[in-house]
Amino acid sequence: MFGRRMIGPVLLAGVLGAGAGYLYGAVGCDLNDPDRDVKRLFPGSTGYETVYVSISQKGGADLLRAIEARLGDSFKGLFETAEVPYTMYRILRGQELIGYIHGVNQKGRYGGIQVFLALDLQGTIRAFYIQKLTSRQARLLRSPEFGRQFEGLSLTDFYAYSPVTGRAPVSSRVSAIANPAAEAEDDFRSTLRAVKKNLILVDEFLLGNAHLPGPKARNGGEAGTRSEP
Amino acid sequence: MISIYQVAAKNLFRKKARSLLTVVGIALSAWVLVSLLGFNRGYENALSKDIDNMGFQVLVAAKGCPYEAATLMLKGGTGLRYMKQSVTEDILKHPEVEQVTPMLMQAVFDPNKGEDGSLTAYLGVDPATFPAMKGFLKFKQGAWFTDPEALQAVMGYEAAELEQREVGDSLLVPEMEVEFKVVGVLARSGTQDDGTIFVPIRTLQNIFNKKGQLTGIGVKVNRKADIAALEQKLYDLPDVQVVSLAQVKQTIMSLVSTAKVMVLSIALIAILIAMVGVVNTILMSVLERYREIGILKSMGAMPWDVFRMIWVETVILCLLGGALGVGLGLVLSKVTDLLIRRLLPYTPTGSLIRIDGGLALLTLAAVLAVGLASGLYPAWRAARVRPLESIRAEGD
Repeated sequence: MFGRRMIGPVLLAGVLGAGAGYLYGAVGCDLNDPDRDVKRLFPGSTGYETVYVSISQKGGADLLRAIEARLGDSFKGLFETAEVPYTMYRILRGQELIGYIHGVNQKGRYGGIQVFLALDLQGTIRAFYIQKLTSRQARLLRSPEFGRQFEGLSLTDFYAYSPVTGRAPVSSRVSAIANPAAEAEDDFRSTLRAVKKNLILVDEFLLGNAHLPGPKARNGGEAGTRSEP
Repeated sequence: MISIYQVAAKNLFRKKARSLLTVVGIALSAWVLVSLLGFNRGYENALSKDIDNMGFQVLVAAKGCPYEAATLMLKGGTGLRYMKQSVTEDILKHPEVEQVTPMLMQAVFDPNKGEDGSLTAYLGVDPATFPAMKGFLKFKQGAWFTDPEALQAVMGYEAAELEQREVGDSLLVPEMEVEFKVVGVLARSGTQDDGTIFVPIRTLQNIFNKKGQLTGIGVKVNRKADIAALEQKLYDLPDVQVVSLAQVKQTIMSLVSTAKVMVLSIALIAILIAMVGVVNTILMSVLERYREIGILKSMGAMPWDVFRMIWVETVILCLLGGALGVGLGLVLSKVTDLLIRRLLPYTPTGSLIRIDGGLALLTLAAVLAVGLASGLYPAWRAARVRPLESIRAEGD
């Protein structure tokens, strides 16, 4: 029924007539090639599992407000909503869980910035990776030198960073992160906001709020017991 | 004097539970039948409407383009083929053509997209003709650009979500040092337009140094025109190839027709089940009333009278069940629509179940016809009862 005569027309209708949809098959923040990227970001890993979560699914408006409070900024615009699905990768060595990888899509100056973090079981950054960034200074912000500045940091270090002012206390380790391109200050600040948001989401959905400030978790239990993936 | 219809009705009332269950059985079959017929009609209409909503029925492209375009998308090649913009005027000369819209697709390699880089594609469209042809596209924010040379962009919802763009934001064309201002974000349409970045065609031609060149021309054909005849004429244009969405539509509709045969088979099974139920009920009723029928005949009832009486019972059952089933189909059509949408991976927009008066009457007529056919054997058996034998048999 779908003979050779039809192959060309259908391809053309799909590719030309209907636009360039092929390039945008999936929306969200997934690793483009998880099998390859996981091995690269987590040397020694042998596999991974994916967990899909969203704020609306896990706690709705209350959870959104709690996350905004931890972030120190509100979720903005058409696309930063509680409904956004997050893909979280649980990294395995054999059967043993050895860490996590998670990415968020952050609004940048000229496009979305996809910031991925590879974290150990305590939520400390092992590797930093900008999967996608549209900027004239993209090369500098995606450089290994820039990424290495995030290694060893955790949500504890980022709590004092304000995404609204773009400032952190001088003594904090976040304030030591140098912007490699002064012209791309917007994207630099967006990247730091993405990292903080990323760490909060991992803490919330995977680490049981281990980094939640204060002695008690918000639901009245001990810190780290509020939510499980 | 009591009529034959009253006798038949009274007979049915004597075994209320059995009659009711038979009516329910027929009603369920009628419900399935009317819903399936309504689905057949609604799905085909909705699908056809969706295809027509693509805006143009024929796409003209430079010869050899499909394979090059596919290569570009799949392997990052740069082998797009182009045709001259003057082809649009040649196409417009045909009386079958209502409108044409020129398009130019260009893609740039963005090394900062993914580990190995990736393509970002832009579709240049004519603000004077393209939006009118794609009238079904709705905006989440903003509107179409109107200046054919503006550095402005309209983004499909998914493209905007990926790039986190909203109206007023800037969009950088990687490696080209060109910035667009986003003036519109489309609402989800469920089509590939969701992933497209639209820019004014002349702007794109200028940026990529493709003045007077196109990769595609959308052709909207007059409603009553013969698309196949027009296609043949367009094939005479030099160095172009014609992609008919009518052809694609025909292929899809052929697949739908195959599915329709399956759906009608299920409907047929539903009817057969109902038929067996009716035959069983009426036959049981005849056998139970063997002696009674014999007495009726001994009192002067002719075989035809008995036949009619039994047949009328069947008709009453089928009319009641059919009407109930069709009523259920009408009332619950929205629920059925929702259920189908949950079950199928893709459903077109618009109502999937279309039940109108004509279809309801057709279903009722079909149920009645089936009922009449089902009643033939029991009525025939009843008409053949011999009075003396029947009275003696039950007396024994």
